[in-house]
Amino acid sequence: MKYKLLGRSIAYLLIGISSLVMLVPFATALMNSLKTYREYTTVPPRWIPEVFQWSNYAAVFKLGNIGGYTMNSVIVAGLSVAGALLSCSMVGYAFARLRFPLKSALFVMVLGTMMIPAVVIIIPHFMIFNELNMLDTLTPLWVIEWLAQPFGIFLMRQAFMNIPKEYEEAAKMEGCNPFQIYWRIFIPMARPTLATLAIFTFMGKWNEILTPVIYLTSNEKYTLPIGILSLSGQWTGNEQLMIAAALVSLVPILLVFLFAEKYFVQNHNMAGIK
Amino acid sequence: MKKRKGLYSWLAALLLVTVFASGCSGGGQQDGGAASPPKEEDGGKQVEILLGYYSSDSSDTKMKELIDRFEEQHPNIKVKTQSAPYGQFYQKLDTQIAAGQAPDVWLSDGVYVMKYAQRGAAKDLTDWIVRDLKAEEYYGLDFNKDAEGRYWGVPQGIQVGVLFYNKDLFDKAGVDYPSEDWTWEDLKATAAKLTVDAAGKTAEDAGFDPASVNQFGLTFFSITEGWFSVMKSYGGGVLDEKAENSIVNTPENKQAFEWMVDGMQRGIITDPVDLKSFQSNTAVFPSGSAAMRIGIYARVQAANEAGLNYDVTLLPKGPDGKRVSPVIANSWVINQKSSDEKAEAAWEWIKYWATEDEVQKQWTELGEAVPVKKSVAQSDVFLKAGEQPANRKAFLDSLEFAQTLDNNAVWEEWVGKFNENAERAFLGDATIDQALSDADAAVQAVLDDFYKK
Repeated sequence: MKYKLLGRSIAYLLIGISSLVMLVPFATALMNSLKTYREYTTVPPRWIPEVFQWSNYAAVFKLGNIGGYTMNSVIVAGLSVAGALLSCSMVGYAFARLRFPLKSALFVMVLGTMMIPAVVIIIPHFMIFNELNMLDTLTPLWVIEWLAQPFGIFLMRQAFMNIPKEYEEAAKMEGCNPFQIYWRIFIPMARPTLATLAIFTFMGKWNEILTPVIYLTSNEKYTLPIGILSLSGQWTGNEQLMIAAALVSLVPILLVFLFAEKYFVQNHNMAGIK
Repeated sequence: MKKRKGLYSWLAALLLVTVFASGCSGGGQQDGGAASPPKEEDGGKQVEILLGYYSSDSSDTKMKELIDRFEEQHPNIKVKTQSAPYGQFYQKLDTQIAAGQAPDVWLSDGVYVMKYAQRGAAKDLTDWIVRDLKAEEYYGLDFNKDAEGRYWGVPQGIQVGVLFYNKDLFDKAGVDYPSEDWTWEDLKATAAKLTVDAAGKTAEDAGFDPASVNQFGLTFFSITEGWFSVMKSYGGGVLDEKAENSIVNTPENKQAFEWMVDGMQRGIITDPVDLKSFQSNTAVFPSGSAAMRIGIYARVQAANEAGLNYDVTLLPKGPDGKRVSPVIANSWVINQKSSDEKAEAAWEWIKYWATEDEVQKQWTELGEAVPVKKSVAQSDVFLKAGEQPANRKAFLDSLEFAQTLDNNAVWEEWVGKFNENAERAFLGDATIDQALSDADAAVQAVLDDFYKK
């Protein structure tokens, strides 16, 4: 009993220390976002500002079109998540469960495209979207996710391969076609993986800088990261405002994470197999 | 039946998402990245140009006001804009140039004008400048002139280096403010009195610890606000007049490096490692941790924001009395691939920017750059009597002996190579001779890679 208590105390202590390590950068960012420029540059740094400059947050909302940038980011991230979940699960299901010629070769090719750095394909993509008259619209930022990206395909394929084939056989005996098996059996069972893919896609799109910069031209179409970066100029930093804006931009990610978190802890339900 | 209903609802949802998605983006599909071709309208020939610039949020608002004014004055020219934060602007521009979709006119950092000129992306503006702009009315037209005398851009705003000094720190040490007659040796002698370690000893005191400096005499980094003006005023430099060959390994540069390395080793000047303990390389002076800095005009904003009591003066002279200030003239550049019609409309924009006093005044009010037009620069709009720094005239006087940063097509690359080697000398990891010799070879390799292929 005594040892158990000791073990638990040590565990809590370790967890406490590691969570502190995680929290300190956030707390520092929060403090920096509440400083004046002079306090921000002071050496040695002053951790807690003399007077909390809550006005920095007001300035962020006043300076830039943060509401518009946020809306654009929500549209891009939302449509991307929908596209990624749908397209990657469909393609992943095909690679996991259907039989068709050259399946393995095609899958290797899909994985091979993961090795190509994004900057290499940005110019061809730019030219394609130009031909399609899609530059300076949000479309190029999310439409790619509707075309099944390799990471998502790989993730979903692995998840579907882990689902016992007895489910599939039972469904077939009930008269389900492949689409119904995918939609009614596999999708519900792959929820944790879908949640993972949703979070990865959302975070990737929410924080993305390169592609919005390349495709967007008008200020009113900027996404949030570009909006935050445009708070600083060539010569001036406005760092304390940028930190305040960055913290504000974290809120939606936290919300998505809190929403999707419960699916993380779930696992495939194997209880149906005896 | 139930199954089929599920399928239908699924298809309906998919359709809805597609409709919603196309609705979100459909509005902008007509106006893609490149400007649409000119069209005939009742009031004369309409031309649409795409104008690219980098901006912060505040300068973006001002730029849009100026564009509206331009469109009012030029009803036949429609300006479509493309802006991005500074750091991302060039990623976008380079992609657009590669895809043949670059703006008709764009704002280029002064150090990149030659990169676009020598790669065939920028238009030669010599004839138009000679025809429409009176050289004596402007600062810095020559900053975009190449060795063959061709002009590739027109300055939008100028950054020139001066010596900033913190008056409070000078007063506290009981030291006279810098004078315009200073040499770099004079600067170092005074900087030593203003360098204070953790124990409160100055660099002149016995027992001073250069490893624990709390207040530096001079802060110093990279090219523009670092080694460039020192090397040039000592009679040295990095590239020859054509900016195609390295001249790094010379006795003059060695002398300049001896001055810099000695200052860093004694703790008087910030070395690259010292700078890492600050929020940024440029934060040392505004934080009150350095008595002096080499600074361009834009640094006034941070110094004012930090509430410093400071002023500026000319940069010191070299041993032979030569004085050089670094200068960067951010400039308007016209796309070589734009049609004649669009290029001429773009030139109207540049002319509007350079010649109109009201435009120059409004941009000057932002406080980001020295205005290009002399009549505005020499007026109270720029000189701002009663505001810090009091001696703003030093910026204008410095333009008399200002030199561009040996700009060429591979500027960023050679500066990177030079910095790598200079840092080894600054940190004592290599002798000055070794660092200069290595820098010479590395810089020449970069130049040869572009100019001798």
